[in-house]
Amino acid sequence: MNAPRSLRDRQAIQAMPVIAMGLVVMLLGVLLWLLHRNEVEEERRALIQDILWVEQNLYFHLSSGVERLGQLAEMAGRDGPWSDEFVLQGKALVTAAPEIERVIVRDGIGAVVQSLPPVESGAALGGDSEWANTFALSRSSGRPVYGPPYTVEGKGARFEAQVPIFRGGRFAGTVAGVFSLDAMLANRVPWWFAQAYRLEIQDGNGTLLAAKSQLSPAEPGASYTLRFEPPGHGLELVAISYHSDPQLLRNVLAAAIFILSILSVSSLWALRRHVRRRLAAEQALRTEHSFRKAMEDSLTVGMRARDLEGRITYVNPAFCHMVGWTADELVGTVPPMLYWVPEDLEHTYELHRAVMRGEAPAEGFELVFRRKNGERFSALIYEAPLIDSDGRHTGWMASVLDITERKRAEELSRQHQEKLQHTARLITMGEMASTLAHELNQPLSAIASYATGCLNRLSAGDARPEELVPPLTKLGAQAQRAGQIIRRIHDFVRKSEPLVVPCLLDEIIEGVVGFLEPDARKRGIRIDLDLSLTPGAARPRVEADHILIEQVILNLVRNAMEAMGHTPRPQRRLTISLQCADGQARIRVADRGTGIPPEIAANLFSPFFTTKETGMGMGLNICRSIVEAHRGHLWFEENPGGGSVFLFTLPEMAG
Amino acid sequence: MSKGVVYIVDDDEAIRDALGWLFQSRGVTAQCFASAEDFLSVWSVPCSGCLVLDIRMDGMTGLELFDRLCEMGAKLPVIFLTGHGDVPMAVSALKKGARDFVEKPFNDNDLVDKVIEALAWEAERVASAADAASLAQRLESLTLRERQVMDKVLAGKLNKVIADDLGITMRTVEVHRAHLFEKMGVKTAVELAQILSQRR
Repeated sequence: MNAPRSLRDRQAIQAMPVIAMGLVVMLLGVLLWLLHRNEVEEERRALIQDILWVEQNLYFHLSSGVERLGQLAEMAGRDGPWSDEFVLQGKALVTAAPEIERVIVRDGIGAVVQSLPPVESGAALGGDSEWANTFALSRSSGRPVYGPPYTVEGKGARFEAQVPIFRGGRFAGTVAGVFSLDAMLANRVPWWFAQAYRLEIQDGNGTLLAAKSQLSPAEPGASYTLRFEPPGHGLELVAISYHSDPQLLRNVLAAAIFILSILSVSSLWALRRHVRRRLAAEQALRTEHSFRKAMEDSLTVGMRARDLEGRITYVNPAFCHMVGWTADELVGTVPPMLYWVPEDLEHTYELHRAVMRGEAPAEGFELVFRRKNGERFSALIYEAPLIDSDGRHTGWMASVLDITERKRAEELSRQHQEKLQHTARLITMGEMASTLAHELNQPLSAIASYATGCLNRLSAGDARPEELVPPLTKLGAQAQRAGQIIRRIHDFVRKSEPLVVPCLLDEIIEGVVGFLEPDARKRGIRIDLDLSLTPGAARPRVEADHILIEQVILNLVRNAMEAMGHTPRPQRRLTISLQCADGQARIRVADRGTGIPPEIAANLFSPFFTTKETGMGMGLNICRSIVEAHRGHLWFEENPGGGSVFLFTLPEMAG
Repeated sequence: MSKGVVYIVDDDEAIRDALGWLFQSRGVTAQCFASAEDFLSVWSVPCSGCLVLDIRMDGMTGLELFDRLCEMGAKLPVIFLTGHGDVPMAVSALKKGARDFVEKPFNDNDLVDKVIEALAWEAERVASAADAASLAQRLESLTLRERQVMDKVLAGKLNKVIADDLGITMRTVEVHRAHLFEKMGVKTAVELAQILSQRR
């Protein structure tokens, strides 16, 4: 009943490593993912820090550039834009700040009055074509103003920063610095930044104005956008991190873990398959074992194995049940065995030695064993050599059958058969007698009636002879009919002529007693046999029809038993004795019944006389006829101890 | 010579014939039947006589026929003929009211004697049954008053006392008494008492 449970347990045990493996793989995956996410975060943080730093840097340079322009504007206000000092300072500024391409000075109405470096004739100034707005703003606010970005063909994007010039407190134009975005990026963004990121400047519409590292990354990584203030006007700084190299080590690790996991899972699976196969094999073995055990235990045949020394190595339950000792008590014992019969030890030893020599009869042999409770039983034993798996002879296997029952059954069946025969004989005799009586009754009654009728007529004195003729004729016919019946009986009797052979009287008596024993037991009658058989002396033999004599004894014994129906139980004793004297064998059947009253005694042997309710009155009559046919006599006497004795003699055979 | 019929029922023809002859030789009229069924087909309860019946027959046995007659309320005497071993059966029949049984083969005049005796008994039975029937009829014919007067007379009371008991005149009692004596066919009170005591 624990099979399902153990099966569940086994399944759980089998599943656990797989689950653990799965968990490990999953956790590793989670770990890797967390690491990866950290890295991404880290990268992003670095990107933001870096771009902020770059933006600060650019801002600082722009501010310092504008500050310098402010100094120039002051100078222009003080000395005019043509002074040597201004030109010198202006040139120095353009040289020092690489992002400032040129310095342009416009007067109060916006006309260009100075440009540093100077412009060759015919070359473009490169200023903002939309400068007027910035100029106006600068004039009205009186502060430096950044102009919108614009693109110069072939030169990239730029913007102007205009700083107002005041002369004597009045607006006198602007000093404008033309800033090149490209140059600014090229010079003001450090190399390490350029290595890690591509930096772009876009206007509000997302149009690329300038970029450091013109290579657009093959696989853009994370990017971050920042407003570029000043100069403003919707400019944005965009940093795109190059896709960092895949981290080889980490990937190798992950791959290794992955491969290992797969390997472990597959090995686990293989292991599990192996275990399954083993379990199946074990289960098959168990099934086989229990099947064999069940077979062994259900055998009604006792099995006993012995080694070459005769030591018991195995007994099955049937054998234990048969002899009454347990397997533990029997296994390991050596001859003489517990179940051997002490009084027959020699014979048993002989057989045992014959078996050990390998001379056990193939058709088995019978032996009497004893049970633990001392009971004896007949065993039928077959011995066969035990051969082990290497083909060596290791001992003997015996199958032991308890044939007591079988023998008893055979005995019973034999007795039953005999009883049937007896009954059949009795029925035949009884039927014959009954038929005889009835058949003869009819014609005899008719004869008597005719005769009496005729006598009546004659005694009346007025009878005419002719009236007596028909009844007398009919009387004759009835006499004929009776004669025919008698003849039929003769034929019947002739068919079963007595078969006279020498027979032993004591055997016949014992047979009858054996037959009536159960009946006697039922009636509580004890039968005493006194066959006075002296050892050595010849048993009395007579020439007789065995069956008929048996019938006589059977009849007498049965009568005796019935006669004791009213005798108190303890006194119900029936004695049958056999004696020989003067060449006559005398059989005596004595009962302790009620005896025979004299008025009955006279009729006892007459036919159709019976004292029994169901009797036919043929028994004793026929008995006497049989005994007399054997040249013997049948008579009865009173039993001195109460009851009656029936005796008959038969001439003994000479010699 | 007694009057009466003996019915012989036996399936053996020789026995029927022989018994017929035997009874005839003693002046007893015999009617023979080969089977119980034949007998039942012609016989009815009012027929009186004596039945000699074989206990063992093919078809309906003697015992079965006897049981049937008992059911029908027949009163006629039955004598069984029994073979060997039928005695217990015959005894049980006696307990049920059969008159007698005779074993085959029998001393034949013994059987005839038994039959004659039975026939005489039967005749008496029939007569007394007729008497009883007529007495019952006479009693039936009495009026209530006459009946009351009769009871008092049988109790030995004088006419005067009867008159007082019944609240009628003595003269009326005498008239009733004369009437009932006439109806019952008696002359005296003693005679009346006698015929009534027979009935009981």
